[in-house]
Amino acid sequence: MTVPTIDAMLAMPGVTMALQTLTSLAAILIVVWLTRRLRLGGDPRIQSEEQARQLAEEAICGFDPQAVAIDRAGIGALARDAMGRVLIIRQHGSHFAARLLTSHANVRLDERFLTLATDDRRFGTITLDLGDQAAVWAASLRRLGASTQ
Amino acid sequence: MKPFDVVAYAVPVFVLLVIAEMIWAARRAPEKYEPRDTLTSLALGLGSTVAGALTAGVVLAAAMWLYDHRVMTVPNVWWAWIACFVLDDFNYYWAHRTGHRVRWFWASHVNHHTSQHYNLSTALRQTWTGFFALSFIFRIWPAFIGFHPAMLITVGGANLVYQFWIHTEAVGRMPRWFEAVFNTPSHHRVHHATNPLYLDRNYAGALILWDRLFGTFQRERDDLPIRYGIIKQLGSFDLLHAVFHEWRGMLADVWHAPWRHKLSYLLRPPGWSHDGSREGSDAIRARWLERRGEVG
Repeated sequence: MTVPTIDAMLAMPGVTMALQTLTSLAAILIVVWLTRRLRLGGDPRIQSEEQARQLAEEAICGFDPQAVAIDRAGIGALARDAMGRVLIIRQHGSHFAARLLTSHANVRLDERFLTLATDDRRFGTITLDLGDQAAVWAASLRRLGASTQ
Repeated sequence: MKPFDVVAYAVPVFVLLVIAEMIWAARRAPEKYEPRDTLTSLALGLGSTVAGALTAGVVLAAAMWLYDHRVMTVPNVWWAWIACFVLDDFNYYWAHRTGHRVRWFWASHVNHHTSQHYNLSTALRQTWTGFFALSFIFRIWPAFIGFHPAMLITVGGANLVYQFWIHTEAVGRMPRWFEAVFNTPSHHRVHHATNPLYLDRNYAGALILWDRLFGTFQRERDDLPIRYGIIKQLGSFDLLHAVFHEWRGMLADVWHAPWRHKLSYLLRPPGWSHDGSREGSDAIRARWLERRGEVG
């Protein structure tokens, strides 16, 4: 049996591409390891109602909150505008992301904690510690989607 | 003539520059990088390279077919390489502009914009579905007028390599003459921004002249802190979701739309809807300008 030389192996279809892919994969793992090693990333928190309003406006241009509730740790917030639209804002990595809540089907109240999910499964579920406001918001959210049910 | 694979030689430099920028970020602003975001960007880059390699033969065959039926022959001389680069960059501008203004092409291109970060790893967040979307058609037609496909592939690679370094917040502004002619970090930050004023602006590859010429240029303003990403942020680091979410959304819209509107969901701009329930970039910008009392 003849053992192929390195040159012959590299000449085989797909071998070079496979090697490049494996090398790239290794480089990716090293870079991602370095991001953790260098402690890159952030832990942003919503510090004020003003910031929550700004995040709402950034998520939907022209969204003007009439009411805002912020999680006690600042990991997320709820905002309602004059049209009755409710926006969930939550931490996403070093930034925030938001979705409109269109139904109360995935809203759960547990004392001061309000757990919410939207139609977008990948956006995930968020539990907000809203204190005394949790029950108030839970009651108001029951009206969401009422016209379609 | 054989193409010179510029990108293959540039990749190790890309990796080193990403690491250098990460060190810069660690010292200045750690939030500029997010490990999960970086992993998604780099995995998208790798997948794009694999997808490109698997489909390169078909693209090359199509270009060679056009070259075989060419109307003239462009010689392999220095000025032809410059002309080819400029023509390819012009084609890139229109491919890119179409990639933002026609939802079919946007479905393929959107994943380059899905990061809320703007760093060198974002440059590598490339599409897996460009071949399927037929985006390459914009770039190979010069073979028909006599540019050898190897020349087209080489300058196309050079253009891609040029665009790597402009994906950074570590560089402020370049000298005025450079900003006037070339695409720069400042110009391209605008392109990746979700601020209403910046939506669908600065499509240039290497030469910003095209945006200035065709009315899509917007300078970066110091009074507008930039936010990056897409209008409806992904809110997820899921790799496959980043690749396919717009295809899924578009096909769902086509499926549910009345028959007379189905094609429009493929060909009209992202954000268009037959019942007017959504907003595209033009409407968002116009409303923002109106609220700010600025002239559009």
